Amino acid sequence: MTGATFVFALASGLAIVFALLMVVQKAPVKSVLALVVTFFGLAVLSVQLAAPFIAAIQIIVYAGAILVLFLFVIMLLNLTEEAREKDTRPIQRWLGLVSAVALAGLLLGVTLRAPPAPVLRPGDGPRIPAGDEIPLLGRLLFSDYLFAFEAMSVLLLAAAVGALILSKRRME
Amino acid sequence: MSPELFDVLAAAGKIAFFWAVVLVAYLPNVVWAERRIAGLIQDRPGPNRVGPFGLFQSLADVPKMFLKEDVTPLFVDKLLHTVAPTIILVPALTTIAIVPFGSSLTIAGREIPLVIADVNIGFLYLLALTSISVYGIVIGAWASNNKYSLLGGLRASAQVISYELSMGLAAIGVFVSAGSFRPVAIVEWQAAHVWNCVPQALGCIIFIVSAFAETNRIPFDLAEAESELVGGYHTEFSAFKFGMFFMSEYANMFAAAAMIVTLYFGGWSLPFLAVTGNAGGLLSIAVFLAKVFVWVFVFIWVRWTLPRFRYDQLMALGWKVLLPLSVLNLLVVAWVVARGPGAP
Repeated sequence: MTGATFVFALASGLAIVFALLMVVQKAPVKSVLALVVTFFGLAVLSVQLAAPFIAAIQIIVYAGAILVLFLFVIMLLNLTEEAREKDTRPIQRWLGLVSAVALAGLLLGVTLRAPPAPVLRPGDGPRIPAGDEIPLLGRLLFSDYLFAFEAMSVLLLAAAVGALILSKRRME
Repeated sequence: MSPELFDVLAAAGKIAFFWAVVLVAYLPNVVWAERRIAGLIQDRPGPNRVGPFGLFQSLADVPKMFLKEDVTPLFVDKLLHTVAPTIILVPALTTIAIVPFGSSLTIAGREIPLVIADVNIGFLYLLALTSISVYGIVIGAWASNNKYSLLGGLRASAQVISYELSMGLAAIGVFVSAGSFRPVAIVEWQAAHVWNCVPQALGCIIFIVSAFAETNRIPFDLAEAESELVGGYHTEFSAFKFGMFFMSEYANMFAAAAMIVTLYFGGWSLPFLAVTGNAGGLLSIAVFLAKVFVWVFVFIWVRWTLPRFRYDQLMALGWKVLLPLSVLNLLVVAWVVARGPGAP
């Protein structure tokens, strides 16, 4: 086993184990903390894919901001343990199971059908010169993917306005 | 000696040097300095009994912290209560890995750049680490199972999210003008042109204020707030676990000062002074450390001068003042860079 495969196995193993822990854990705070470890595993995988920018953004945005916000809300509401609810709607359980299997099948199908990755031989340089990833990404976001990028920001704005209206309504 | 072995030894040497500076030279003395300066400001002597000027006070305090009984209250979450101090200390001690602490030294005919890791994402790594350092506080607070600790953790999480945004946006102004995320490139740009604190004075002020908030120092120490929350997030920690929280505060101060110096005050460079060769390399290390210690002094000075913010004032300052100002700063810098010479 080379160093790279060892790191890959460790990072992906940690990500999977802690993702499972996140689901199984009863205390919501611990669920969030397990998800933090999962995100770190994913960030390591991004670094291995020669995408350190994605890794850094993943940690800054997800682990550093969004999950801290989750923790804030959970601690504010002082949720200690999830109450075991009585299953009044068993159909949702089955629907959840079916959609999970469908999603897994979809992901597996896409992965299997994907064209084979180009084989890199020792001595091949990186396909994007080091240091150029971030300017390249920026240029792509503001040229080819401009519409998707702007649509996404409008969507986020709409979500923020919606959240504001909902919280205002409750206060009245 | 093979080049690979040389590189490994050089990297190990740089890490050893930096940790020696932070752990052996800086940490014990900054605690002493903080207490002496506090004394000076409050018109009293401060600790002056152990050794000359009380300099050995920290040498007496550290064994005390090691030898004290480590009390783990019965009502805490044992696992998280144990790991929280480690989680807060690791980011505090690893942020400095990408900060260039000097120009370069030439040893055995090879040039060694004086930075532990010169990575392309540079400051993003630093922002990532500072943004996760809050987990130590939040985990410690939650694991303590104590309402005062919980309030401290709650405050810390909201505060870090609020100020991280303006901090990052202010720093982006520097990245835009230098055209790079790499701290080495940012310092070289400043050495060639002008320190960023002059053209980007607004961004500099926003960054410094946010850095104070990120390090949880007065006037932003609401997570600790001993007058209302006993000890805040570290109320239930004793002996060396408390010592680790205590150390991390000072390590974070060092990291924040190093970030301020690198982004806005020219890093290791000194204007009107060009010394080349190894003498220049050694001088640049001294310049960098001197600048960092000046900023650490400012941190201490502010702590013993200003009162603590109220929580609503803290949130209003973060969201209604600093955030709009940092967006304005970014727009102005981007406009100037886009119109200036060499624009893409």
